[in-house]
Amino acid sequence: MRHLRVFWRICVETMLGIKHSGWSNWLVVSILAIALTIFGSVLQLTMTLKDVVNYFGSQMVISAFLKDNFEPGKVAQEISQFVEVRLVEVIDKNKSWGEMQKTMKVASIPNPLPNTLHIRVAKPEQVEKLAPKLQLLSGVEAVRYPMMVARRINEVRHFFEIAGVAVTAVLAFATLIVIGNTIHLVIQARHKEIEILSLMGVGHFYIKCPFVLQGAFYGAVSALFAAVVIIGVEFYIIKPYISNELVSFASVMPTGLGYNLVETFLIMLALGMAVGAGGGAWASGRYIKI
Amino acid sequence: MIRLQNVSKSYAGRLALKDVNLHVALGEFAFLVGPSGAGKSTLMRLLYREETPTSGNVFIGGVNLNKLSSPQIPLLRRRLGIIFQDYKLLTRQTAYDNVAYILRAHGVDEKEVRKRVNSALNVVNLEDKQDAFPDELSGGEQQRVGIARAIVNGPPVLLADEPTGNLDPATSLEIVQLLARISQRGTTVLISTHDHTIVNTMRRRVISMRAGEVATDVDSGFYEVQGQIQV
Repeated sequence: MRHLRVFWRICVETMLGIKHSGWSNWLVVSILAIALTIFGSVLQLTMTLKDVVNYFGSQMVISAFLKDNFEPGKVAQEISQFVEVRLVEVIDKNKSWGEMQKTMKVASIPNPLPNTLHIRVAKPEQVEKLAPKLQLLSGVEAVRYPMMVARRINEVRHFFEIAGVAVTAVLAFATLIVIGNTIHLVIQARHKEIEILSLMGVGHFYIKCPFVLQGAFYGAVSALFAAVVIIGVEFYIIKPYISNELVSFASVMPTGLGYNLVETFLIMLALGMAVGAGGGAWASGRYIKI
Repeated sequence: MIRLQNVSKSYAGRLALKDVNLHVALGEFAFLVGPSGAGKSTLMRLLYREETPTSGNVFIGGVNLNKLSSPQIPLLRRRLGIIFQDYKLLTRQTAYDNVAYILRAHGVDEKEVRKRVNSALNVVNLEDKQDAFPDELSGGEQQRVGIARAIVNGPPVLLADEPTGNLDPATSLEIVQLLARISQRGTTVLISTHDHTIVNTMRRRVISMRAGEVATDVDSGFYEVQGQIQV
């Protein structure tokens, strides 16, 4: 109960600190909201593009040609045990040969085709890892897959991952500095008060914690503003105008790709609060000397 | 209750305190006197651990302050009541809230806070001014709020660093008499001052400092303008 009362008092102190910060609250929230809007937009774009790449990658097929004396169903069963495997499809050699004869009018010779398995992976980067494993199976004669496509897809996917992390790191650092400096100004404005609290025997945690919470509060409010901007852009610009231009492209794409707005908002909220709290912790640790 | 053992303090080679030995017993009331630069404020800052000695040991209630870690310092200060010349009140809080602040920060429930704050304000006779902000109070009233804040935790030691420095003589005497009454309840009170009128009116223990040293230490002493003590 006592800890709850202390926590409540810390919240009250935080709110008083925000109230006393006046116009500088809006300054820091504006800057942080801009940074989070950029971050959220990049996150949406990166994740959508990454999902598109993943979608194409997951459509890529590894073909495993089987030896004649092996039962395709049993080999398929064996292959489906690999964690990377999403789907195994058996292509019967007689069926293939029959279709080939129908379409290509080939001569009436004994069926030269092997039984084939078409294997789809869960993630595109697993193609190159799985293929050599399949080659080692006793029932598999040969394995074929579009190696260059797989590599290219992995490169693109990797690029988006690095770009996402880099943008996040740069924006997080920039906002950390902005929040840290704002909290520094608040600390300077309240230095006399802080000195009094320290001399009265108020604990370091109690003195510093409101500044950390103040930073987290800035992060949360800024994430809300950024979400409003992103949702506005999504509903009033992207959906009515840009999406129409992409109908033909979209028709070949599955639905449900990319992060949804709730996920993006939650990530922005978490990042904003973490960066805000980090800025507050950094400034209070550095500038409050008690 | 308060003990200094061979305490010296220097700032950039300049000696502010030189081999000071001192003992103030539980419930005792003492003045620490001397001219500006004598080392009174330095000694007071050592007692509430705003500073650490260059050499020697400072004890409060048997605790060696040199050995306190940073998180332990607030715990020490909660056992001390500290009164300042400039009152150090939170200007955006009422008299009541200033006194209640430390209790609330420690999670004391509001009913208990009310009881203890009212009691402290009653001791300093400021119950009717509890809703006033510091800038609505006179200097003497502000200092009484400072005293109420210092005693609200029931500390065994009260340290008053030039508590009457900003007050007129009549109010100064009132404040010191108030501190003397608090001392009668068993609180150790140490007042640093250079106000000879008050010291001579009160006729209590007088520890006189000169150039960083304890020059004299006399019960029921006097403090003259030149810093001389008569018994």
